[in-house]
Amino acid sequence: MHWINWVIVVVYVLYVVIDGVRRSKDTDSLAGFFVANKSLSWWVVGLSVMATQLSAITMIGTPGQGATDGIRFIQFYFGLPIAMVILGVTLVPFLHGSGVYTAYEFLERRFDAKTRSLTAFLFLLSRGMSAGTIIAAPGVVLSAIFGIPLVWAVALIGLPTVLYTMLGGVQAVAWADVKQMFLIMFAFLAIVIVLIVQMPVSPDEALRIAGATGRLQAFDFSFDLTETYTFWGGIIGGTFLMLSYFGTDQSQVQRYLSARSVDQARSSLLMSAYWKIPLQLLVLLVGVGVFVYYQFVRPPLLYNPAHEAAVVDVRGEDYAVLQGRYEEVFTLRSNAALEVADATDQAVGSTAMQSFLQREAEIEGIRVEALAMAEEVTGEPSRDVNYIIPRFALSELPIGLAGLFIAGVLAAAMSSISAELNSLATTSIIDFYRRWVKPEATDAHYLLVSKGATAFWGIFACVVATYAATLGSLIEVVNRFGSFFYGSILGVFILAMIPRTTGRGSFFGLIAGMSLVAFVNFRIPEVAFLWHNVIGAVTVVMVGLLLSATDTKGAVEGRSTRGANAAG
Amino acid sequence: MSQEPTPTRAEARAKFRRTLVQVLLVQLIAIAALAFLQIRYGL
Repeated sequence: MHWINWVIVVVYVLYVVIDGVRRSKDTDSLAGFFVANKSLSWWVVGLSVMATQLSAITMIGTPGQGATDGIRFIQFYFGLPIAMVILGVTLVPFLHGSGVYTAYEFLERRFDAKTRSLTAFLFLLSRGMSAGTIIAAPGVVLSAIFGIPLVWAVALIGLPTVLYTMLGGVQAVAWADVKQMFLIMFAFLAIVIVLIVQMPVSPDEALRIAGATGRLQAFDFSFDLTETYTFWGGIIGGTFLMLSYFGTDQSQVQRYLSARSVDQARSSLLMSAYWKIPLQLLVLLVGVGVFVYYQFVRPPLLYNPAHEAAVVDVRGEDYAVLQGRYEEVFTLRSNAALEVADATDQAVGSTAMQSFLQREAEIEGIRVEALAMAEEVTGEPSRDVNYIIPRFALSELPIGLAGLFIAGVLAAAMSSISAELNSLATTSIIDFYRRWVKPEATDAHYLLVSKGATAFWGIFACVVATYAATLGSLIEVVNRFGSFFYGSILGVFILAMIPRTTGRGSFFGLIAGMSLVAFVNFRIPEVAFLWHNVIGAVTVVMVGLLLSATDTKGAVEGRSTRGANAAG
Repeated sequence: MSQEPTPTRAEARAKFRRTLVQVLLVQLIAIAALAFLQIRYGL
């Protein structure tokens, strides 16, 4: 990468840390550190929520998905606006009004300590590991792109984030998120402008080429539980997933607990309701645009430069033969794509389209062979989709803009990690340390241990990220385990809002929900994961209501027996 | 005798309805754009 691009990246990292340290002066109390003294405006919280959700892997992986699979992934987000509106009238007033620091603290007030501790523990378990993967995923990509050791890439992303999160608390996290969100948007707009300026065909022709390969098929109306991205999966499963994520995950809840009022908290969530789908569509269309651009400008056969180098090193001759075939078919496909773009007559267009699709299938076949070769040589699965956009940015964006794009990737990673670290520290201290270890201590003491907890989780996440390749299967197991209880925890919060439900009902409901989701996951693996959230939440509510009804009946009978005895 | 909702509650409901309509409208526009792309280019 050009030195000017490196300067931009370094300036960005320094700025984020210095700004975080500057904000640390407002965090001399626990309420300041964890919920910014409930002082943040809706737009700050709203942008922070959006930046937190937009991780680095979303930034590079989602357009990559647009390039390889098209825009149907957009259906995943169809439930988000519905979830935001529901949360705005249900959970947000409950949580914001109750003056808690964590979502789980609210559960003890409503139910009991064991329900609070179990949900908080599950959060720490899943988020602790996922913080590692959130650093590891972009770390692996950056290390391959720049040819630097993984540990450096992890340090570049992780250490500045730990520093500003530890010193500045939620205040620094939220304000850094705002700036990071603008940087991310700027990076995407830079790519859009470059694509429009450099594309050899008009936008209409580009869309025709993309449409010919099925990349503009947004909707799939089949009610198929085994397909992840369908309209109904997005609307129903997506609503439950988003309700769980935005309503019960501390990394999100903590954002709107920092808002000035319930109204401001609601408005912050509505920002995502308005903008998430258009934003995600833009990101996917960027990927589709890159796909069309690469019809005319030959991209590398393997996008991951580290894998490419390894294959050339070990199986150079075989790869050269494959590369020769690729170049030959690429030229034929380019010509066919131009014919599709130029076709005015329907019959000519149809013939051109068939020829184009045939060449496209041939290119796909060659790519599959190359990926298999890379997997055989390196011994690791080749997730080439994550390398398409970084390689496009570094080779096609002008000097300066490429640096801004890489800074944008770091910003997306940092904004997600900082929220994770902040919420992990909050839950560790509020739900465990203050609840079970040291209930009576000064704010200064809690503040000190909170900063220590942030540093601990930060270093833990960096270590997990550094050993991501070795711990791969373990992380996968933990992430999979995490998906077992996401919907189930939502079920507990739904029970909390239903009058007369009991602690016993919610606790055993939670265990029943998680068990059923685990059963479905292992015994009926073809059910798409979005539906796990529906299954978990519904089971918890049903079992919880049933047990609560028996509890209430028992209590009523107990009271009437005692009453009869007293009367006798 | 039924009790009339207090003005603040009524206001809150009206505001919520307005917001809901706005959110649905924005989503409708987004879905219409997607449908346009699919029908014009995707078939």
